[in-house]
Amino acid sequence: MEKNLLVEEIKDKTERMRRDAIEMGFSAGSEGAHFGPALSCMDMVATLFFGVMNYDPDNPEMPERDRFVLSKGHACLAYYAALIEAGYIPREMIPQFKGNNSILCGHPSKNVQYGIEVSSGSLGNGFPVACGMAKAAKFKGEAHQVYCIVGDGECNEGIIWEAALNAAKNKLDNLIVLVDINNFQLSGTTSEVMPINLDALWRAAGWEVLHIEDGNNVEEVLQILNEVKESDIEKPHVILTKTVKGKGISYMENNLKFHATSINEEQYRQAIADLDKAEAERKEQ
Amino acid sequence: MTNISLETLKEWSKLGHRNSFGESIIHLAREREDVVVVNADITTTARLVNFKNEFPDRIFNVGIAEQNLIGFSAGLAREGLMPFAVTVAAFVPMRCAEQMRMMLGYMNLNGRVVGIESGCRFGPLGNTHFAMDDIAVTRTIPNFTVISPSDPHQIYKTVFAVAEHQGPVHIRLTGAPGFPLLYPDDFDFEIGKAIEYRPGKDVAIITTGSVLSEGIRAAEILEKKGISTRVIDMHTLKPLDLNMLDSVFAENSLVVTVEEHSIIGGLGSAVASYKAGFANSPKQVMCSLGDSFKKIGNYAFHMKNAGLVAEDIAEKVLQNVD
Ligand SMILES: Cc1ncc(C[n+]2csc(CCOP(=O)(O)OP(=O)(O)O)c2C)c(N)n1
Repeated sequence: MEKNLLVEEIKDKTERMRRDAIEMGFSAGSEGAHFGPALSCMDMVATLFFGVMNYDPDNPEMPERDRFVLSKGHACLAYYAALIEAGYIPREMIPQFKGNNSILCGHPSKNVQYGIEVSSGSLGNGFPVACGMAKAAKFKGEAHQVYCIVGDGECNEGIIWEAALNAAKNKLDNLIVLVDINNFQLSGTTSEVMPINLDALWRAAGWEVLHIEDGNNVEEVLQILNEVKESDIEKPHVILTKTVKGKGISYMENNLKFHATSINEEQYRQAIADLDKAEAERKEQ
Repeated sequence: MTNISLETLKEWSKLGHRNSFGESIIHLAREREDVVVVNADITTTARLVNFKNEFPDRIFNVGIAEQNLIGFSAGLAREGLMPFAVTVAAFVPMRCAEQMRMMLGYMNLNGRVVGIESGCRFGPLGNTHFAMDDIAVTRTIPNFTVISPSDPHQIYKTVFAVAEHQGPVHIRLTGAPGFPLLYPDDFDFEIGKAIEYRPGKDVAIITTGSVLSEGIRAAEILEKKGISTRVIDMHTLKPLDLNMLDSVFAENSLVVTVEEHSIIGGLGSAVASYKAGFANSPKQVMCSLGDSFKKIGNYAFHMKNAGLVAEDIAEKVLQNVD
């Protein structure tokens, strides 16, 4: 399997993932999709899958695989796009997103064969499961890591802090959480809805806290994730990762309207044009 | 309570139950200063933006924190306010059931808990976003009144009736945008008093929530086949209208319960457990979402799979009438 590819290769994959995400969301028609939340964490999901994690799509239950839990499950387009790119989900399934009887549900529904480790979508609930999985690895003496992505709004949920304290108590240094700080949640900015000092809270809960200034920059994400992997601090690690909600699609960036909505033909074409442009610019450099 | 114009009701029917509630609560707040709205990062989704614009000081967003939604509301209620705590039905009551039991039920406070998009209307979003168990949860909490309105007009009436009620209330909202306006004219609405929507001698179809429209259509299909079908709108699930059930058990030969809820703990269960006390009562057929997690699909897909569309309800009746 592919592992620790060069940053440029991860970027290639991230570009295809953004395209696949747009295709999936558009194919859901009037049912729409959570575009903004997926686009903000697309680069960190890609970096985890194609620069950091160990797994084998041909052996999805491989005990030593690293585990991934998307606690902010509404961002499933990023997850599915990574699973397509990784070879778990056939690309032909894209039009089935949100369709009748489809496995590509509007929130991840556990399906190990397709690489979906844990069901999520009810906010707050994925993270404590990730903590339990990390504890199980320690209990069984297994060396793999557990990665979990949590939303900044999701950190409103009390269960996040219950789980954070418990993870610290259990010294889960095999647990790495990325908080996707796009500064928005559903009904407003995070500072409007619920002001929260994430750095202070995670520290107070006993976690090792790191920062990524540009979470949509694969290079920076990869560097910090590699540092964390090398870390011998016996604590769970959280990386507070600044991102842009809707990243990569001009009209979606920092636009709460595209938290969850359908897109029309014209918006679809604009999205593809934005991605074409970004790709051309990158290849020129 | 002022009457709502037919035009407005038609508009609400088109927009769906979220708008129907979001606008009704504005009407109530204009008449009662004690009414406040609490929500869990759902102001836009729950169509509470108009309320927020008109009453910016009377709406509180607790963030994505459903347990606190209830605890905070209980505190407001304890001090004499009338909080309407609103979020997605998948999360309320389930995510905050214990808070509802201890903070609202036990203390018998005037908290009003509103779950939008109950049942399986959030079809493609999957089981995390379905509420197939909410009636079961709140019916078992002492002191709680549980209401599932059937159309936009009944949502309006419910909001006003609830304001006069003592004790905690769970309002369960179902139906997609375009859910039919079933009560175009003014009508009497009383908590705990079911409405005989149409009379019938043979079969009685008892429904709760927006699926009443399917019950009515099923009755029309059956009527054409010569089966006289009564339709009962059991909007209040607790307390159940036992007088109405007495009359059904005495006068009808088949009882059909129809609900967008698990077969366990909802309308069908409630009717069956009351019926169990009768030595000679009619057979009961239950139409429900059964007892399973669902594959994903759109709303119509779910309603069809569960047999909750009129044609399926009628078919089930035909299989069971003598
Ligand atoms: C328990 C629960 N409450 C409410 C929701 C509805 N909801 C879906 S996304 C969302 C906002 C999430 O914000 P954040 O975690 O910041 O993620 P973002 O969308 O910004 O990426 C809300 C409130 C939910 N899915 N689960």
